[in-house]
Amino acid sequence: MRVSVDVGGTFTDVIVLDESSGQIQLDKVATTPANPAQGVLDGFQKVGAQTEAIEYFVHGTTLGINAMLTRTGAKVAFVTTKGFRDIYILGRTDREPMYDFKYKKPKSLVPRYLCYEVEERLNYKGQVLSPFNREQAAEVARAIQAEGVESVAVCFLHSYVNPDHELAMAEVFAEVAPELSVTLSHQLSRVYREYERSSTTVIDAYIKPITRTYLTRLNDELVAGGFGGNFLMTRSGGGAMTLETAKEEPAHLVLSGPAGGVIGGAYLGNLINEPNLITIDMGGTSLDVSLIAENTPTIENEQVFQLLPISIPTIDIHTIGAGGGSIAWVDEGGHLQVGPKSAGADPGPVCYSKGGQDITFTDAALLVGYLDAENFLGGEIDISTALAEEAGQKLAERLGMSVLDMAAGVISISEAKMAGAVRVISVERGYHPKDFALCAFGGGGAFVAANISRELGIPRAIIPPGPGNFSALGMLMVDVVHDYARTHITDLAELDPVPVNAVFGELADGGRSALKSDGFDADSQQFLPSAEMRYRGQEHTVNIPLPSMSLSTDDIPEITRRFHEAHEQQYGHSMLGDPIEIVTLRLRAVGILPRPDLAKVAAGTGNIDAARKGSRQVYLRELGQHQEYQVYDRMKLGAGDSIDGPAIIEEPSSTTMIHRGDVLTVGEYGELSIDIFTEVS
Amino acid sequence: MSKLDSITVQVIHNYLLSAAREMERNLMRTSYSTVIYEIRDFGLGIYDDQCRLLAEAPGLAVFTRGNDYGLQKTVEFIGKENMEPGDLLLTSYPYWSSAHPLDVLAISPIFALDELVGYTAIKQHWLDLGQKDAGYILDSVDVFQEGLLMPGVKIYKAGQLDQEIVNLLRFNSRMPDRIIGDMNAQISACRTGERRVSELVTRFGLDTYHEAIEAIFDHGERLARARLSELPNGTWEAEDWADDDGIDRDTMLKLKVKVTITDDEFIVDWSGSNPATMGPMNLPIGLTEGVTGLAFKGITTPDTPANFGNYRPLKVIAPPGEMMHAIPPAPTFTVWAALLAPEVILKALSQGLSDRVPACSGGDVFDIMGVGLLPDTGLPWVEATNEAVGFGAHAGGDGEDAIMHLSEPGCRNNPVEVLESKAPWTIDTYRIRPDSGGPGLHRGGVGVMRSYRFLHPSGFLSLVKKTKSAPWGMIGGGDAAPGKVIVWPGTEKEEITGAVNYPMAVGEVVENYSGGGGGWGDPFQRDPQRVLDDVRDGYVTVQSAREHYGVVIDPQNWAVDEGATAALRT
Repeated sequence: MRVSVDVGGTFTDVIVLDESSGQIQLDKVATTPANPAQGVLDGFQKVGAQTEAIEYFVHGTTLGINAMLTRTGAKVAFVTTKGFRDIYILGRTDREPMYDFKYKKPKSLVPRYLCYEVEERLNYKGQVLSPFNREQAAEVARAIQAEGVESVAVCFLHSYVNPDHELAMAEVFAEVAPELSVTLSHQLSRVYREYERSSTTVIDAYIKPITRTYLTRLNDELVAGGFGGNFLMTRSGGGAMTLETAKEEPAHLVLSGPAGGVIGGAYLGNLINEPNLITIDMGGTSLDVSLIAENTPTIENEQVFQLLPISIPTIDIHTIGAGGGSIAWVDEGGHLQVGPKSAGADPGPVCYSKGGQDITFTDAALLVGYLDAENFLGGEIDISTALAEEAGQKLAERLGMSVLDMAAGVISISEAKMAGAVRVISVERGYHPKDFALCAFGGGGAFVAANISRELGIPRAIIPPGPGNFSALGMLMVDVVHDYARTHITDLAELDPVPVNAVFGELADGGRSALKSDGFDADSQQFLPSAEMRYRGQEHTVNIPLPSMSLSTDDIPEITRRFHEAHEQQYGHSMLGDPIEIVTLRLRAVGILPRPDLAKVAAGTGNIDAARKGSRQVYLRELGQHQEYQVYDRMKLGAGDSIDGPAIIEEPSSTTMIHRGDVLTVGEYGELSIDIFTEVS
Repeated sequence: MSKLDSITVQVIHNYLLSAAREMERNLMRTSYSTVIYEIRDFGLGIYDDQCRLLAEAPGLAVFTRGNDYGLQKTVEFIGKENMEPGDLLLTSYPYWSSAHPLDVLAISPIFALDELVGYTAIKQHWLDLGQKDAGYILDSVDVFQEGLLMPGVKIYKAGQLDQEIVNLLRFNSRMPDRIIGDMNAQISACRTGERRVSELVTRFGLDTYHEAIEAIFDHGERLARARLSELPNGTWEAEDWADDDGIDRDTMLKLKVKVTITDDEFIVDWSGSNPATMGPMNLPIGLTEGVTGLAFKGITTPDTPANFGNYRPLKVIAPPGEMMHAIPPAPTFTVWAALLAPEVILKALSQGLSDRVPACSGGDVFDIMGVGLLPDTGLPWVEATNEAVGFGAHAGGDGEDAIMHLSEPGCRNNPVEVLESKAPWTIDTYRIRPDSGGPGLHRGGVGVMRSYRFLHPSGFLSLVKKTKSAPWGMIGGGDAAPGKVIVWPGTEKEEITGAVNYPMAVGEVVENYSGGGGGWGDPFQRDPQRVLDDVRDGYVTVQSAREHYGVVIDPQNWAVDEGATAALRT
């Protein structure tokens, strides 16, 4: 049995997969912020999972990113090279708002008085300019200890090329203050730019103690309950890591939760022969968008979370503040705006009757008829249309619109923003949406999937089974991943394969031993080499997959071709005659887990009337009037069943909208596949 | 209310804003120079067919605003009727491009449905293009010493690259490969914006597009007027001083402004500022208008994206021939008066709107530059970085510490590890400057200091014109420490200065100090606990806490001595 648990801000999703039958069971329990491990155990209980029967437990959590958001992580000290105490506090000194003369940066994760300097200095080649001063370093360690710090981030200048001094600093801490958790910058990132590397290190240090406490406690509880299987955590960069690695490098957990949905998308895409997918995960406060090309999620080597950079390979997930709870408001120019402020779970939308005063996306969906007040979350939540109408009336009056036009406007503006977010990770990265299908999940994804697809020219939208729990489902499909990188600058045309292959040999040795200790034998190990390349003189690179870890000069033309093509694809131009250089060699070591099969659903009868629940009037802005939508129960649809839009397909955690001309077909795994109608102009 | 519904307008507006962001990403990711990909020394925007700004991306605010004028003049000169699909024009004639000739403006006309529907425009710094000295010019006496002047030169004509013009550029540069690489990135980013807008217009049709952009401008205007109507009417004057013009190093340059707020206008009159300078401190009028617009935007609508409509209530007066309105062939290269100009507007307004405007920031971008030949290859190098300043404190709170000047929001510092990898120098220190923020009930932000040690004979340039007068405080708040450059510190040759261009020998050192921001309100009213926090973090020293804030702190146990503090404060 495999179990996955996705702890989100509001809900904890649990999925149990019986590998023999392929059957899945899914459920949701409330997240328990004070003791999130309890929520996980509650979830186990609710789905009736037998702890001792679990072979793989895969877990994703927003614990780390929440701690960053609420500034509730550890008390961290920052240690750096003498003369450079402020490199972390200073950052890059820029700001996003163009014209705000009173701008304040977000609060730093480390106050300046906890930033320390150690005497040591390297140059950019890694040569020692000043030796590491062990005595002075020990004084610093004692001072840090005296401050009651829990966790330390160490980032010395140019440690990406020579880590000796950082390792020496770790030794000093081990002697002087062994109780401190220590993060060394070079272990997370081997890329120059001291602020970005420092920030990565500080984030890791900041979330390490709480992550360790949490994971240790959860594992103890599970073991006490008879658990003897593998405990894996989903990684920001895709795949999973073992419990032990997660405790050492929690920086890789920052996108642990949303990564599950992307991994699930790649898995489902493979299963249903949709290798190119754009995934959207619409929750209560935000929308996460990602892109999968040729069954592979796209990876960025640097991401920024809440203005804090983190330079480790991360699935390219673009997040905007557009969710079910996003609040509608009128700006001073008299235009309707939606978000990024959210009513969150508490008070939530007006219609939840929990004191919310501001119209949200969910309220608008209710007012236009997307949502059924009688059947919200399968009837588990009481919905007040009257309250939503009352609040909607006030907003509509300020706009000089009818309530219905206002509500439909809220949805249109939200959809436009979401389409914009999809554009960021597709068009802006050189991918054309017409070559992709849109895989929509989360509580709200299925509302907007058809219209967003239409807006972008995406021909098909897919609503996976159990869209409300899809991230958790994705977590069941992981492999164990370790990423390695080494800077190795060389001209591609004059590439000498010997040293390159030697680097790959070393990286692969590291990968083999890591995978071996994770319990993977040689047969279930896979190695994916790639190289970051650029035109000589450029700074930023494009990552190009390599044909093998043992290159010969015969491979050069093919690698050259791939680079020009990728540059052209991503940036719209290539410079065919210009020299190309390799900057960084990367190796992804994968421990392949047995892939569970999802069960297929029974074939439908072709008679969809049995699944029909009735019909509902939906207000459409472009028509300025209501239109009748047939309403169906997804649970009663079988494979091959087909529905013509306009229609609404309801299930307990989600509602799928299809509009005039759209055609929905139920696939063999129960996924809803929507062919998007477009006007021929 | 226009015929077109406001929801569709919003959809189109969002699309344009995201197209501008896409141009920015494309430019950053493919450029060849740290000035672009690390520092973001560029400004870009999307315009309609009448050269009115529709959307911009973060970068140098001072560039984007000046691009408006540069685009207008270029289109006027070439003629709208002579624009063809696939054209790409370069403008570096400073009186049009509104920057020095090394800040080259690239323009691409956008066509959709067989009609000219707009332009993309990107101005970015080119490392070298025919100027008399490597790196930067501090002492030109006319425009012809300042670089290759391009009046809307079509480097692409109907999609065809003109190799002869590429050759002309290459043969006029000390660093031909770098500038061509950067130019390709610039052009590619223009093309990206062009494609997006063309797709947009094709999808919505010309009528809807034209109607929507008018609605975007009207909306921008309403936002600005709503804020303008909250401001008190009145006329206020202020003046302040930039260091010198680079030729006559002893005479400071006056910026004088009169700001008048009426019910529906915001009039900024620069008359009476310095006459034209002999050195390159004169401002092209487009730049004067641009930086004036920057201040106006910051006062009225800092929280929404900029478009042409925002600026409709703004009127700018600057008599031709004065420093604030250069006429050919006046030298303009340093254009540093542009950095101080928005601050002087705020200074005038501080008399009537003391609860709305901040005290002076560090007042400059504190740019330094190194030039030379790389020891291993002999190839020329140019590296630069701007430094963060302190923001001025204001009624709502402290000024931010170490943040890029108000003229360059998207700009970033150049990392130590990058600078050391690219050029033969070592950075000895990079840190904040304690006590550089003006004391006050609300403290001004602190500036920074970075020191450089040259490992190979090189040229050093500092481009700093606000060192001789202090950034001012407000309402009883103290002045801040101004910036300074110390060349050869601690030696017999030591010189404390502003803008210089000196040869440096192996082992010689330069220190660059940026200015802090002015304080706001009486520092003796500041909560002693907050003063203690600042002292604990090292932004304020124990001595300064006592002297300027009347707060006595025991640094042994980090506590406020209440009795001694009370005694000092009475």
